[in-house]
Amino acid sequence: MSVLARSVGNAFRNKIRTAAVVAVLAVAIGLALAMLVANQAVGAKVQELNASVGTTLTVNPAGGQGFEGGGEPLTAAQAQTVASVTNVTSVVGTKALRLQTATAETSTTQQGGGFGPGGQQASVTTNLTAAIDAGTLGNRNGSATNTGGTGTTQRVRTLPIAATGIGAEVDSAGKALDITSGTGLGDYTTAQAKALVGTTLAQKNNLTAGSTFTIQDKTFTVAGIFDAGTAFGNNAVYVTLPEAQTLAATPDELSTMIVTVNSMENVDSTKTAVQSALGTSKADVTQGQRNLETAVSSLDSVKNISLVAFIAALATAGLIILLIMVMLVRERRREIGVLKAIGARNRTIGLQFVLESLVLVALGSVVGAAIASLASGGIASALISSNTSTTAAPTTQRGGGFGGGGFAGGGFAGGGQGGPFGGASQLLTSVSASASPGVIAAGIAAVFAVAIIGALVPALLTARIRPIEVLRGE
Amino acid sequence: MIVVKDLVRQFKSGDRTIKPVNGVSFELEKGSLASIVGKSGSGKSTLLSLLGALDKPTSGDVVVDGVSLAGLPDSKLTEYRRRDIGFVFQQFNLIPNLRAVDNVMLPMEFAGVRKAARLKRAKELLEQVQLDPEKQSRRINRLSGGEQQRVAIARALANEPKLILADEPTGNLDEQTGEHIIELLSSLSRDHNTTILVVTHDRSLAQKTERCFRLQQGRLTEEVKSGLHR
Repeated sequence: MSVLARSVGNAFRNKIRTAAVVAVLAVAIGLALAMLVANQAVGAKVQELNASVGTTLTVNPAGGQGFEGGGEPLTAAQAQTVASVTNVTSVVGTKALRLQTATAETSTTQQGGGFGPGGQQASVTTNLTAAIDAGTLGNRNGSATNTGGTGTTQRVRTLPIAATGIGAEVDSAGKALDITSGTGLGDYTTAQAKALVGTTLAQKNNLTAGSTFTIQDKTFTVAGIFDAGTAFGNNAVYVTLPEAQTLAATPDELSTMIVTVNSMENVDSTKTAVQSALGTSKADVTQGQRNLETAVSSLDSVKNISLVAFIAALATAGLIILLIMVMLVRERRREIGVLKAIGARNRTIGLQFVLESLVLVALGSVVGAAIASLASGGIASALISSNTSTTAAPTTQRGGGFGGGGFAGGGFAGGGQGGPFGGASQLLTSVSASASPGVIAAGIAAVFAVAIIGALVPALLTARIRPIEVLRGE
Repeated sequence: MIVVKDLVRQFKSGDRTIKPVNGVSFELEKGSLASIVGKSGSGKSTLLSLLGALDKPTSGDVVVDGVSLAGLPDSKLTEYRRRDIGFVFQQFNLIPNLRAVDNVMLPMEFAGVRKAARLKRAKELLEQVQLDPEKQSRRINRLSGGEQQRVAIARALANEPKLILADEPTGNLDEQTGEHIIELLSSLSRDHNTTILVVTHDRSLAQKTERCFRLQQGRLTEEVKSGLHR
């Protein structure tokens, strides 16, 4: 019988006690793992938020946000100026276009012009059909435009398609595009007759990678299909920035600039520096971080709480193991003495008790992992809701700060919770605490490490004494 | 050869100092069979534990084949117990939740003997001490006192030690089995050159050993030679 087999046998000497020990360990280990899972989930979310928008500034023409915007368009020279500001790691220019069928284009012109930041969204024609119906909101907004219009022809209720020229493979908010089929556009700094099309728009127009469509009578090939995650975001087309500028006949003009700062700590100072470099009368600089500051702060609190709880639960599990092993070792001092008397080394005795404790911990971990997988989501939600109830509300009010202007019919423009980053509460509730095998394995490894120490200490302390002291003492 | 030099072991009991072993000296030739007799509490078991390196003497020394135990670190003493000593305890001291055969295999496992070899030898030894084959796979706590004693003797023989120290090895055995165990120990001494020192109350067992010592108030005196014929 090997030392492992002997340890397994010893672990089940007293089945009732083993069951009780395993149950107590399972609760402690389960709690520790649940906290670790929550900690990892929140940590990943914080990282994701920081990576996506936390260090991003958006530059719009001064007065260019909202429905009735104005001001001068941004230029490539200004982009270069921004790029030279300290802590700026990248500047991506965008050029917004609104694509409409030839009929709708005519009608809209008669109605008095388009919307968007400073009227920067040049209208161009396309043979594509929008994937979104106008609906009540679109019709209402369409009617409203008549007040400023000159024509008498009643409205054409067709929503335009958002087309954006981009200087890198990111969406209009600076987030990396999720291309689900086909490829990207390759070189985004040259004009080329290729485009990325949103999933719903592609479906509506039966487009796949390699299909063609027209903008301003120019044939474009669909290089790839992307998924923006929203109906509005998927009713869109991306082309390279020079191509969009060519289509709009406004070379060097930019609708927005997405500025990435090297760290979240530098966002405030960089925002001021960019604003100063461009001049307050020329550009408005908005800060994505502000929308998320409270949310990230709350998530950080949750992360810290879950980390402390994980350590506490782990320490509890370790203490339980230590006490159990102290009890077992005391109970079996005579056996240790006998093993020493017949020639067992101290390390052999230590190994036997360590393996015995690991058997108990392994059983506790299996049950604990099941508990963690069931409870981690609930625990994470409870932690988040109890730590963000007072902070989520104001952030919700500030939501929707991104997106330089919008189309009629709902979209970026609203100041409420409709923006892509609107509502910290939405961000908070979107934290999904799933028990990934890697995290569970890391947690169990930590528990095993604690168990080894907990078992080794009493076993070795007992094994160091002379055999006769143990044998005589009984 | 075992040389015991002026061995002393003393304990404190309140204000009193007790010396169960008080200046014991003797020599045992390799392959000899000797016994120690004495009243209960005369220090027989303490002397045995000093010879087996289960305990350390207050003073004096035990020299086994020229190696002084007094100068050995704990790790070497463990090695000495594992390789050179076979112990038969008065209380058997078997591991209760292990099978008889597993108990006999334990010292061999500690000595690094391969599993198949130690299983084979354990079964042979249990047969030698006349434990029924069907009982070899029973847990210790399901064996009688006599059967446990035989397992304890088999375990002591497992690593073919140079010195077997047996504390009342026939105390729980019936006369016939006791005779068999005495014969087994005699044959080990005779055929395998194993030195055997037995502590016993059994005068008949003591009579069958080559040399018999009496321990009285911690001091050892040798009695008249017994009539054992080798």
